[in-house]
Amino acid sequence: MQVLLLLDKDSQTNLSEDLHKKIVRTLESRGHQVDIYKLEKGEVFQCLGCLLCLTKHPDHCVNKDLINDLRKNVKQYSATFFITPVLFGHYSSTMAGAINRGTGSHDWQVFIGYGEDISVEEKQTFIDLVAKHRGAAEIVHPGMDRKVDVFVTMSPEESTHICEVLSYD
Amino acid sequence: MTETERKTVCIINGSLRGKNAASLAFARDLERYLPADVFETISVGVKARVKDRYPEATLKNIARADALVLIFPLHNYGLPGGLMRLLEEYYGYAKAGKDYKRAGVYVIVNCAFPRPAAVNGEVLRVVRNFCARLSLQWRFAVCIGTGPVVVMTRKVPFFYHTLNKAYADIARDILSEDLEEKKDYFIKPIIPEPIIAAIRRHYERSGKMIEA
Repeated sequence: MQVLLLLDKDSQTNLSEDLHKKIVRTLESRGHQVDIYKLEKGEVFQCLGCLLCLTKHPDHCVNKDLINDLRKNVKQYSATFFITPVLFGHYSSTMAGAINRGTGSHDWQVFIGYGEDISVEEKQTFIDLVAKHRGAAEIVHPGMDRKVDVFVTMSPEESTHICEVLSYD
Repeated sequence: MTETERKTVCIINGSLRGKNAASLAFARDLERYLPADVFETISVGVKARVKDRYPEATLKNIARADALVLIFPLHNYGLPGGLMRLLEEYYGYAKAGKDYKRAGVYVIVNCAFPRPAAVNGEVLRVVRNFCARLSLQWRFAVCIGTGPVVVMTRKVPFFYHTLNKAYADIARDILSEDLEEKKDYFIKPIIPEPIIAAIRRHYERSGKMIEA
């Protein structure tokens, strides 16, 4: 299985680096090939909402950057992992550029939010924002994404636990 | 009303669709309820890509406002990335010790789905969390279902009384400095949901989002 792993380069912390290494180790130990991209906010275009990727030229974004290249090739991936800081209960703007422009595998998407200063409400907001309406619970685009998982880590111990959960998938 | 008594309202358009944006249409509609002798209106837009940072002048304009009105389309049940970037930078600006007013915060969010109550809850929680982080005053939201359809049909008499009432309520609330929590507004489009769903399915099939 080929996995796409996306990270927010401008928001790297000790916690995110530890998580990153553990996730890669977990995936590779199960025989998956992991393609890793560290996204920089100054280089990623945001989704314009023009919908031309749905209407005029499917699978191609009008903005030509790394995200467009990833989107074009997303069908080769069985899963996309988004590793993002949790900010106000939301993923970062850099990761929003990737998520909203279609880099998520339609088979399996895994969102892992991290941060050492996340309130209980922000943690739950992140989980609901990502998972409540997606995957099997999708009401707007039923059937589009088969499986969506979400986790939040605030410590290396929680990151280890997430990897244990993932190793059973 | 003297210059010092005028309320400063910063309208942040979180859409990147330029003049075609439903958010811009809603912003223009709201401005009609904010007369210049009572309100100073500042308009702030977001960018598709910011190489370095937003200009300090943009963040200062947000910081000096008595009220912030965030107008944006729902993206994947969340904030559009351009607006998220601006909020991240504003948060950093405020946390760096720069002066900012504990403004009242209003949201006008439009989604592609005809039932706004079903899908907007999480993004409103994100904005509330943002407010909590900076001790801003969350006021209320106007959640609009199928924004572009509402923009096309909003001039039809009698149908959008609630939308106009919501704009008026924002203006009134800014002046009142009321701190009591208010209920959100939910605006449904006048075109029946099955027709909107059929249009959406057509584009999803043509865009290969779902199997034909």
